[in-house]
Amino acid sequence: MSAGQLTAASSTSAGSFPAVGEAARAAQSLVKETVLNANDSSEVFARAHAARDALGFPAGSKSAGRHVHDGLQNTDYDEVTEVDAVGQTITVAQFDAAGHLLAALRFDSPSGSAPAVTGDAAALSAQRGLAALGVTVRGQARLDVNPAAGGWDVHWDRAQDGFAVRGDETRVHVWPDGRIQSVARVEHPLTAAPTRSLGQAEAQQAVIRQVDKWFAGKDSGYMVGGLDLEWVGPNAAFDSSKVGTAEAPYRLAWVANIKPSGAASSYVRLITLFVDAGDGTVIGGDIVE
Amino acid sequence: MKRAKTLLVSVLLAVSALGATAQGAFALTGDVWSNSDSFSSRCLGFTDTYPQQLYTLATGQMALLGYKPIVGALGPSFTRSAFLSDVFYDYAVYAHTHGDNYWAASGWPNVDSAILQDPGPSRCSNFSLDAIRSSAIKAATLGTPYNLVIMSTCSLGSSSSTMPDAFQIQKTKTSTQRKFYLGYSTETYDSSALRFERAFWSYLNGASNHVRTVSQAFTYAVSIGGYAVPDSANPFQPNWWGNPTYNGTPG
Repeated sequence: MSAGQLTAASSTSAGSFPAVGEAARAAQSLVKETVLNANDSSEVFARAHAARDALGFPAGSKSAGRHVHDGLQNTDYDEVTEVDAVGQTITVAQFDAAGHLLAALRFDSPSGSAPAVTGDAAALSAQRGLAALGVTVRGQARLDVNPAAGGWDVHWDRAQDGFAVRGDETRVHVWPDGRIQSVARVEHPLTAAPTRSLGQAEAQQAVIRQVDKWFAGKDSGYMVGGLDLEWVGPNAAFDSSKVGTAEAPYRLAWVANIKPSGAASSYVRLITLFVDAGDGTVIGGDIVE
Repeated sequence: MKRAKTLLVSVLLAVSALGATAQGAFALTGDVWSNSDSFSSRCLGFTDTYPQQLYTLATGQMALLGYKPIVGALGPSFTRSAFLSDVFYDYAVYAHTHGDNYWAASGWPNVDSAILQDPGPSRCSNFSLDAIRSSAIKAATLGTPYNLVIMSTCSLGSSSSTMPDAFQIQKTKTSTQRKFYLGYSTETYDSSALRFERAFWSYLNGASNHVRTVSQAFTYAVSIGGYAVPDSANPFQPNWWGNPTYNGTPG
């Protein structure tokens, strides 16, 4: 370990049985950080300060920088935090290796006295903040109420070649008073689109074949809901041999929503299946338990 | 804490009666439960890998906060009786399973939130057989306080959830006691729960000496975005109640 390298979590605890102890030991080594010096990494600090000012975040009494290897989130990033006079972190800004903003957020709370902004006003505030950051968004924003912190979550979902990129977005949380609390950009690498794509009817047949196989002999039925082309991340949802493998670039896939009926509907709300648009194989999916 | 006082009386009685040592009497137990049999090949035709992934994550990370021992179970040992007999002794509780805000036995409009135990190796889940009601949990806790409660399920972070009260956690974000409840408000994809919980634990345990607060970890994890949603009626909406300055450690 180099002089500047810190291992994050310091407490140790073997669990009551081996598997837990193994998990604890594994977790211990998963988040590591290397201190970034303001002189040697001046561009990182400059980006962070520019983001802070663009978003109207408070300035701390000092800034601290670090490079983080985050094995839990399977990512590496540079992070600059602003710390107040008593050492509390008040803002965080994270950037990828290319210097692109991943997330910027503030930890303080809005005053409760201001009247709550409308969704339209929140979207406008978000757009202004992104413009000040130099972040371009296209299309109509999607608005959700934020029940935990109040205000609005304003999303611009990413699309490529006319198809949604599942989960990828530019997200801004706007406080009830109209100020921005956080900005995040999520953008996964994509593979090339397949030269020949399965048609919707072929994809539907592939989905039915797979789900019929799964549900054969079960006391449950199902209905296929939407079937749309999206860019998706291949994952280990249905294949334990893929758990822990590196995240692969996103692929174009038919995404089918399967609504169980009968017995399974009392414990599984939705099964989502990703069928590769090129070769028709199941490359992952998702579940709402 | 009330639990410690109650335990102290029990332990002193036990020590005097049996001549045993009191070592372990003040264990800072964290229980991690995950239902896997409902989501197995036997019940669904495929094995859902998320219960194992979320269980492994929670056990390791809860230990890093100082909870010890970490008990509970993945799979068939996650029973209603095990949950209810353990819960009094817990300082932290994590559950990943099917959860919802069901009508109370008294009927509409009263809610009695519940989670489902693991159904075991010979059948699949059935609400009437497997529900662990919040009212039953509350009764089993005997009013004792809890530090960290995470319901990694659908719906139990919503305003109608009665699960926080089962653990004596009021639905306020200004508590001054060492308590924090986390749940999801809507129907939530497992992939989104895993992404959120990885970010949450990573931030919370990502600095030495537990200098970060649980509410900061929550704020960080929500703020990074990138959460897939099942439909527009179910945006990704985790929620919390408790103390905004609490760091998540036991005691």
